[in-house]
Amino acid sequence: MATITRPSTTAGPAAPRTSRALEYQNLFTRVQVRTAPDWGVPIEQRTWVRQTTPGFSYWLGKLGDAQVGPVYLGWTGVASLIFGFVAFEIIGLNMLAQVGWNPIQFVRRLPWLSLDPPAPGYGLAIPPLAQGGWWLMAGFFLTTSIMLWWVRTYRRARALGMGTHLPWAFASAIFLYLSLGFIRPLLMGSWGEAVPFGILSHLDWTAAFSIRYGNLFYNPFHMLSIAFLYGSTLLFAMHGATILAVSRLGGEREIEQITDRGTGAERAQLFWRWCMGWNATMESIHRWAWWFAFLTTFTGAIGILLTGTAVDNWYLWGQKHGIVPGYPATIQIAPQKAEDLRGQYMGVPADTFPGATLGRGAVPAAATVPLPGARTDSAALADSATTGTAMPNQPAPATPGSSPPAVVPPSPQAPAAGGRP
Amino acid sequence: MRRAAILALLTLAACEPGSKNTAQLGYRGVGMEVVTDPDVQRARLAANPVPAPLPPAPPGGPVARWQNVQVLNELSVGEFTRTMTAITNWVAPTTGPEAGCNYCHNPANLASDEKYPKVVARRMLAMTRDLNTNWRSHVGQTGVTCYTCHAGAPVPRAGLWTYTDQNQYLRAYLDKSDVRVQSYAALPTTGNRSSIKQTEYTYALMINMSNSLGVNCTFCHNSRAWATWQGAPATRVTALYGLRMVRHLNTGYVAGLGEVLPDSRLGVRGDAPKVGCATCHNGLHKPLAGAQMARDYPGLWGHPGPWEAMTAADSGKSGITDYRDPTGVPTDGSAPRLPDAIPPSRSMGTPPPVRSSSAHAPLTRTAAAPAQQR
Repeated sequence: MATITRPSTTAGPAAPRTSRALEYQNLFTRVQVRTAPDWGVPIEQRTWVRQTTPGFSYWLGKLGDAQVGPVYLGWTGVASLIFGFVAFEIIGLNMLAQVGWNPIQFVRRLPWLSLDPPAPGYGLAIPPLAQGGWWLMAGFFLTTSIMLWWVRTYRRARALGMGTHLPWAFASAIFLYLSLGFIRPLLMGSWGEAVPFGILSHLDWTAAFSIRYGNLFYNPFHMLSIAFLYGSTLLFAMHGATILAVSRLGGEREIEQITDRGTGAERAQLFWRWCMGWNATMESIHRWAWWFAFLTTFTGAIGILLTGTAVDNWYLWGQKHGIVPGYPATIQIAPQKAEDLRGQYMGVPADTFPGATLGRGAVPAAATVPLPGARTDSAALADSATTGTAMPNQPAPATPGSSPPAVVPPSPQAPAAGGRP
Repeated sequence: MRRAAILALLTLAACEPGSKNTAQLGYRGVGMEVVTDPDVQRARLAANPVPAPLPPAPPGGPVARWQNVQVLNELSVGEFTRTMTAITNWVAPTTGPEAGCNYCHNPANLASDEKYPKVVARRMLAMTRDLNTNWRSHVGQTGVTCYTCHAGAPVPRAGLWTYTDQNQYLRAYLDKSDVRVQSYAALPTTGNRSSIKQTEYTYALMINMSNSLGVNCTFCHNSRAWATWQGAPATRVTALYGLRMVRHLNTGYVAGLGEVLPDSRLGVRGDAPKVGCATCHNGLHKPLAGAQMARDYPGLWGHPGPWEAMTAADSGKSGITDYRDPTGVPTDGSAPRLPDAIPPSRSMGTPPPVRSSSAHAPLTRTAAAPAQQR
């Protein structure tokens, strides 16, 4: 058991309720150290040496350490920056071309501008540059850049004798990125499934992705990803608040207090035992955080990879497996009319609407024939007679040729809606 | 504390002040509701005034015989004149040498079809009768009048659209019925190959409908499963027939007007303006807040005339006009999304312009049909 060192009398545990108490609850770092720059531990030097004489920045010191540098780029860092710059330029110049090279329109419309993947009709072929070829190229350069940066993080961690926790957490995020933009499109056989480069367009893609595959909220891996994401923020808030709260007791020197407990760590841990009955340790709380962060993107990637490949409609999948609660319906439609109302969902090749991407002659005739099996599992969405309270706003009686739904009077004996017939 | 208070106030600045009205549309606790802002609602109602009906025509009287009347040919002279007056008030009420009656008619020869608005008006009259007679699944017993869309202006105030490029998502208002993208099976089948891009077009179309009616998604949909009718409000049935109706109007009556309209009325790609939900609804989920204007005008009900047969033939075709480029120049999202500010020739991947084809029912400026005799 380490000796508990009482802080000096000026900042005792029972500090007076003055502005001094607030000193440890401010937004910015209050103390900045000025000394000779710290060059870090000695490491084996190879081709590149650490460059850039370190300096100090007062304003950066408000947020973190005031020392800037030394910087080590290495060949992976330089190559990564070059590839990333090329990707950035491809995306930016394409967007600029979309507004006729007008810089004012570029700024005004930037949130809506987008470099889109090839249309679905191209499959995995390489399209002309203006039809998605630029997107493929930008994706290649961006992916290469990210991969090189990953190599850099791994090698730097190794060079410093650190563990490789950071590269592997980064790899989890890269796995999600690759799942969205590369692996899943490969599995689906179409670059058109991938995410566009654009501020609002990638958000639109997210909404459309959920809509197309029947509500992603019923995807269990999406659920897990959300749980880990929200869990990450909760852990981050709890840990950050705990450490800030004991920083006046030296609690922010976490690493020292892992091995040599002091008042700060002891009090923080007692606090959580009082509040939760149990506490993480100074070391394990970081393992918690690492796994939560890692699993956010990792489970998310699995959820993405299963969508469209293993499951086509997550709502129906959830219904099948009992995770979709049923509610009484508010509309009654006779079974014979449900078919008419349901209409015909696509059942056609993906490149026929809207605006075919290939000339009409270029689409093989066989591909335009709707394939069988499109409407087999009708039970789930067919909405055969459901029960509930009739709405007053029912459509008018039948007109020839338009087949409105027949209205079934409410039947109290009918089973509750939502379950399968 | 002061900083926190300022931050809180800044956060609230994004909110709309005032109370909101909420109406429950589905089962409790599932968010099936429509939220309206009374101020917004008042403004929308003020933007949709309803004119008083004209005094009724004297009952009875002889059925008029006219030289070149093809739609309103079973009305008495009094009712016919009253209907003409009402149409003038609804569509071209201003005075001037080329306004009022003269907007459509040559005052020296009222039977002449030399002015294109008269040809258009005749087709619109047939369309109105078709709507009020055959599309009660959508318009109910309320029906529509010229004023529903025109509201006192020769060109309807809202919701008209033309092709900006081949990927115009509003094309579903014309000739595409394959809006549905979700599968009816939990697991993948070979049947549904809808892409994310198709879904985005459907999404955009739905937002257009939502804005047109001034309602949110749950006004018609059970938002946890868009495709299902379970738990969806009955309004969705009305909306479905509305979509079919709009397609019928555009294919049968409106899209073919490109042949009679002057170039100044056509879109950038040379096609006639076509209607959408907003053309009638103009921000209200019932046009003119449900005012039953058509009830007072018997001329707007009845047989649409010779167009019914033509439009029936037209509607049988799938995709009456193929606006896709026959040369096979592909387009996709790499083409500009906001083409109005961009010269087509300077943007990437924009195909050459196309004109609407002549697949619609024939329309000529000369009086093709002889005077109706009864």
